[in-house]
Amino acid sequence: MFVMIELELRRLRHDRTELYFRAVQPILWIVVFGPVMSSVKGIPTGGIPYTDFITPGVLIQSTTFLSIFYGLMMVWERDSGILKKLLVTPASRYATVIGRSMASGIRAIFQGLIVVPFALLIGVRFVPNAAYFISAFVIIFFASGGFAAISILVASFMKTRERFMGIGQAIIMPLFFASNALYPVQMMPQALQYFSAVNPMSYVVDATRGLMITGDLTNLLIDVAAVAVFDTVMFILASISFKRIIE
Amino acid sequence: MEKTDVAVSTEKLVKIYKGKTRALDGIDLTAEAGIAFAILGPNGAGKTTLIRILTTQLKPTSGDAHVFGLNVTREGSRIRRLISYVPQEMSVWTDISGYENLLIYAKIFGISSKERKSIIHEALENMELDEVDDNLVSTYSGGMVRRLEIACAMLIKPKIMFLDEPTIGLDPSAKKVVWERLTSFKRQCGVTIFFSTHYMDEADLYSDRIAIINRGRIVKQGTAEELKRSLGGEVILFNLQNAGLTGESLRKLRNTDTVKDVILNDSELSILVEDAETNLPCIINILRSEGIKTEKISITKPTLDDVFLKYAGIRLETSGRISEVASIRRMIRKG
Repeated sequence: MFVMIELELRRLRHDRTELYFRAVQPILWIVVFGPVMSSVKGIPTGGIPYTDFITPGVLIQSTTFLSIFYGLMMVWERDSGILKKLLVTPASRYATVIGRSMASGIRAIFQGLIVVPFALLIGVRFVPNAAYFISAFVIIFFASGGFAAISILVASFMKTRERFMGIGQAIIMPLFFASNALYPVQMMPQALQYFSAVNPMSYVVDATRGLMITGDLTNLLIDVAAVAVFDTVMFILASISFKRIIE
Repeated sequence: MEKTDVAVSTEKLVKIYKGKTRALDGIDLTAEAGIAFAILGPNGAGKTTLIRILTTQLKPTSGDAHVFGLNVTREGSRIRRLISYVPQEMSVWTDISGYENLLIYAKIFGISSKERKSIIHEALENMELDEVDDNLVSTYSGGMVRRLEIACAMLIKPKIMFLDEPTIGLDPSAKKVVWERLTSFKRQCGVTIFFSTHYMDEADLYSDRIAIINRGRIVKQGTAEELKRSLGGEVILFNLQNAGLTGESLRKLRNTDTVKDVILNDSELSILVEDAETNLPCIINILRSEGIKTEKISITKPTLDDVFLKYAGIRLETSGRISEVASIRRMIRKG
């Protein structure tokens, strides 16, 4: 299981270009979208600057993107023989799926670490507490694992890149817009609010926002529980369907 | 023979994809432990499907298959501990080094940290990759990638290695190196090698036993020598000028005492005889009297190609597909 994480680290050591380029988008959100929208002053952020408000949301959005497209790597590995070979090893399917998912969590952490300095530069005030900050990244790590498991699940049904790209977009955008990443849930129409209540991204954003920006931890337990349930369910589903991917 | 001496056995193995494509149509074969066993056949014959069933990736539709006495459907996890497998497609990560690939697989296989280093170095040396072990795999040649994949398969000292088209797309010299290393590994460790190929010469040179497969059926089994001897004598090959060979003339040729078999493939007429020199005049006479004009006549010892032609009714087509797979492999490397 851990060996998959090691694999990811070794890959990153050799080539980090993808991470840098993927960081461009969240940086733009924070550096451009945030300041522009904050001049509107129409969004009730609970007393914090708008850019600060969206920073965790954008961070989560970018790490989720990364994780959802992790399945694309699975599709690639399916086209090559790697997955076939992995499935013929004695390693269990659960270990393989969870390992691969968490490996995506590693990528997500690095992605986040690239974005944070830019947020600091633009003047986003983080809660000055190292323990909070680290906890936030632990949550990002596990949440990304869960999203990567979704993507492995999707990959085991959509076996081609083209189909995967399409469905990947179709999953991410609703998750993003129907979450509290860019605006509080209370602003949404009722139907979307219901959706947001089952949207794992909302819980992740809520937790990281509490830990990084507001310092308000009242919902933290619920958020962590939500992420844990989400991870467990996704790991199980992805493991069950994983064998289908090579058939 | 004791059960444990049999590496692979299948009984009436059938695989039907999506309820219609019959990939395997009742395969019966036995491969003893410690030998190199070749599955020889054209593309789409069912070679890959067979290997994927034996490596527990696919479930057979009906019939049974055993690897070292273990049932592939029920005892898959025990089989996976004994075998290693090299798929036809590329199966290493290209964005890390060769050594790192082996390290990751060694950990997946659960090789203890004490032995890991020496085992990896041994595998690298075996495959003559020890000088490039720190280079990224994306800089390797096709032959080197293949050798790395086989090195991977050697890590656990498996009881049996399944190799699906191990030298597809490689040039003759790279092919030769791969097989030299495989043969010496087999001698050292007594591993059984079960491989599929559509190269005649590969099956001929490097296998102890061959099963010819066509359209999901085993049409003939034996050693390369046995297969060739089963045709007997020599082959006279005529390139016909006109395709005016009727059934009547074929029958006449077949009914000639000294002719053992007659195979017509497009404009190529192969006639099997015990001794070509003494029989040639007589056969030419028959052809002439039937009004058949020949362009070229050649006499050869039977090759596996002839064996294949006789039992499967077609020649092994090789050219198109190799370049196709080679280009797919290149494409995958580029990502």
